[in-house]
Amino acid sequence: MAARVVEVANGVPGLAAERAVTWPKRTRAQLSNGLEVILAEAHSIPKFHGELFFRSGNAAAAHRGPGLAEMTATVVRTGTRKRASRQIEEDLRRIGADLSSGAGADTSAISFAGLSEFAEPLLGLVNELVREAAFPDAEFERERRQKLEEVKLERTQPGFVASARLRKVLFGAHPYGEVSPSEEQVAAYKREDLQVIYREFYTPENGLLLLVGDFDAAGMLKTIEKVFGAWTGKKPEPTAAAAPANPRGRRVYLVHLPGAVQTQIVAGCHAITRKHPDWVKLGLTNSLYGGAFNSRLVMNIREDKGYTYSPRSGVHALRQHGYFSVSAAVRNDVVAASLTEMFYEMDKLRSVPVPVPELADAQNYLSGVFSMGLATQDGLLSQLSTVALNELPDDYLETYRPRVRALKPEDLLATARKYLDSANMQVVVVGDRAQIEEQASLFGEVEVYDAQGKRMD
Amino acid sequence: MKRLQIAMESAKLANGLNVVVAPDTTAPVVTVGVYYKIGFRLEPQGRSGFAHLFEHMMFQGSANAPKMQHIKLVNSSGGMLNGSTSYDVTNYYEAVPSNALERVLWLEADRMRALKVDDENLKNQRDVVKEEVRVNVMNQPYGGFPWLDMPPVAFRNWANAHNFYGDFADLDAADLADVQAFFKTYYVPNNAVLLMLGDVKAEEGIALAKKYFGEISAGAPPPFADPSEPEQGEERRGNVEEKFGTLPAMAIGYVIPKRRTADWCAMALLDQALHGGRAGRMHRELVIEKQIAVEAGGGIDDIFGYNGPTQMTTRVLHKPEYSSQATLEAFDAVVREVQENGISADELEQLKVKWRSDYYATLEGGRGGYMPRYGLMHLLACFTLFDNEPQLANTILDGFLAVSREEIQAVAKKYLRNEKRAIVFRTPVKAALPAGAKEAA
Repeated sequence: MAARVVEVANGVPGLAAERAVTWPKRTRAQLSNGLEVILAEAHSIPKFHGELFFRSGNAAAAHRGPGLAEMTATVVRTGTRKRASRQIEEDLRRIGADLSSGAGADTSAISFAGLSEFAEPLLGLVNELVREAAFPDAEFERERRQKLEEVKLERTQPGFVASARLRKVLFGAHPYGEVSPSEEQVAAYKREDLQVIYREFYTPENGLLLLVGDFDAAGMLKTIEKVFGAWTGKKPEPTAAAAPANPRGRRVYLVHLPGAVQTQIVAGCHAITRKHPDWVKLGLTNSLYGGAFNSRLVMNIREDKGYTYSPRSGVHALRQHGYFSVSAAVRNDVVAASLTEMFYEMDKLRSVPVPVPELADAQNYLSGVFSMGLATQDGLLSQLSTVALNELPDDYLETYRPRVRALKPEDLLATARKYLDSANMQVVVVGDRAQIEEQASLFGEVEVYDAQGKRMD
Repeated sequence: MKRLQIAMESAKLANGLNVVVAPDTTAPVVTVGVYYKIGFRLEPQGRSGFAHLFEHMMFQGSANAPKMQHIKLVNSSGGMLNGSTSYDVTNYYEAVPSNALERVLWLEADRMRALKVDDENLKNQRDVVKEEVRVNVMNQPYGGFPWLDMPPVAFRNWANAHNFYGDFADLDAADLADVQAFFKTYYVPNNAVLLMLGDVKAEEGIALAKKYFGEISAGAPPPFADPSEPEQGEERRGNVEEKFGTLPAMAIGYVIPKRRTADWCAMALLDQALHGGRAGRMHRELVIEKQIAVEAGGGIDDIFGYNGPTQMTTRVLHKPEYSSQATLEAFDAVVREVQENGISADELEQLKVKWRSDYYATLEGGRGGYMPRYGLMHLLACFTLFDNEPQLANTILDGFLAVSREEIQAVAKKYLRNEKRAIVFRTPVKAALPAGAKEAA
């Protein structure tokens, strides 16, 4: 079909001179017990945001059971030697604080935010949670049953089912292949396993404390020493998992969801971690492909063809491996048409250099959006944690924008060829089999699963 | 106690456009918003979902910025953009590096002055909206529960009771004439507020507003359908089938007091007592103590952002071994407890500290982390359009911090009454049969 003629705008005001972006000073320290501390002042509201990370998550706990680090983090907040669950929740409210605990593949973390005037009691509670969690029997049992219901619910959500299947396909038996436990695995959780993980992971040598907000950094550092100084504990032994095989050849995985009125598509391939020298190049390539509203894929399958509301692509970095993915929830009768366009846009970026004006637009986008992180306390916290947890250079925030701006069309062509690996993309479609199997089979040999992950004929 | 004071200036242009500027030099970023006082409630009968469909059309081209240019010009300036439709307002917003401020104002003014869309654009966005409804509602477990399920059960006035996302037949019936008529009626400067927050000086912002918006003609004052509800005298109940999830669910909604009254402030703190996260009484009783529910939360959604009848709604997903009746009895026990015994002085103190803390978080809050000051923008817009008083952002907290224990108990008795509530049951079609139904203690 002939492409729609794109008209240009008339009389658009030019951009004024760019104002300097100044990243706030970071105060770094390491306590004598090994706890790493990073502080940044941000005085927008009389509050502060914090996160205490441990550099071990579900992947490091996988040999004991999938999702066990997450379960450990969940139960950590339900009681300490000094405070019962109800007391913890009321004490948080008393100081106007929010707190959550959780674990991803590579880290466990307590995240919190509160009023600056109550910083010390909030840090005191965090300290208590990471040192004196009591894992009360009844709380563990309740959270385990709660988790069972969550796990059941997840498997009825097309987006979850699709991304879980993709991870399985890309990472196989590696811990990254398992994004969530099964009901049987949750049923097998033992309180003692959680306590072992807690003792091993929740130590100052394994920790990173980040605080951003309305405080004086020097004074805050003293408070931190006072609160966390007496804590001790070693770094856990590193766990190593065999590198996952990189799947070759395009294959299709259909998850049958009877009665689905739409099809969730997600396709992906192995890519890189954030430490990789190609990271910024791939970020820019992704933003041209499907990572921004103005990207080629969104303009094509949403704004031109109306196949979907929610197309996007992304680069996902885990500590040891990364992957690239593209997704969209589409009308059942355009599954094949949508996949065709997804591959067309990938192959085009692999074949034809990006025109310079389009590249400049994407560079502006990525460098502009990056500086938005400065404007809010939690935005800044998230930027700082990305740098610290991925062991990126200290000046990463300062040099990111110039590095984006230095890229040339040939850099992006090479990057797309390397990482938008269309011939080896693994395609997952989640929907009603009768309506989509024939369309899906146009893109490779089809394996069919049910929502619980069981292979069907 | 440290109080936050937001610096702001406001003005009204000759064409009736309200302008509010809130300067803050934390980052070289500016957030721009345009809010129109039109939402779901006022969309025409026979055109359910139209306010939202129209919001999509505002990205489809204006006199000098044809289709795809609006999005391209914001993204390529280093910014993010979006829009959303609510009960009483529709908003359009961008966060950009501050050197793109004039460009964004030009874009917003261009589409306020003259929308330029065709049938192909309308067909395209109708398809996009249908996929939006499918991904958020029809193809999701508990999709639209309870925000779409509750209104037809709870309300009698069509303005409050219809399907806000739109029946597909109504979306299909919408044509270009509807789009232009809606635009002419509601998208006039005298029915809108322009907001600039962040790296912009107050006088500069107001001067730029005049430069780009000053020449847009005012329209006739838009008609406003009366959204008031007839007095409710009986409990209302409805049932909706749940296609994917296996847990039975229910939502219980009570109409809340009129905005900016003393009862409204007390109700907000009562809401915090009932639904304030894991310390809230609903979660504590139903999820932690009795372990009947897997989820029990909710409350008043966007308390500052509505201008008509609204509810405080509790959403409960419960274990199949408990009957709906048993679950509702456990819910009622929580309500009865606060009606009979009120709350302690200590609990009230906790609620107030948390309320203040949450309020500050709202003011700073981004949307998805990348729309700085979305919350402040939203409050300034609603306080301007509904109350003609943007300074309320600096004073409204006082009313909540002055609430007494007696007032909380009084509103619990006055508003949390069975004959003032509506209940929607969302019943799974494929629920596992309970092993043996238990009655709640």
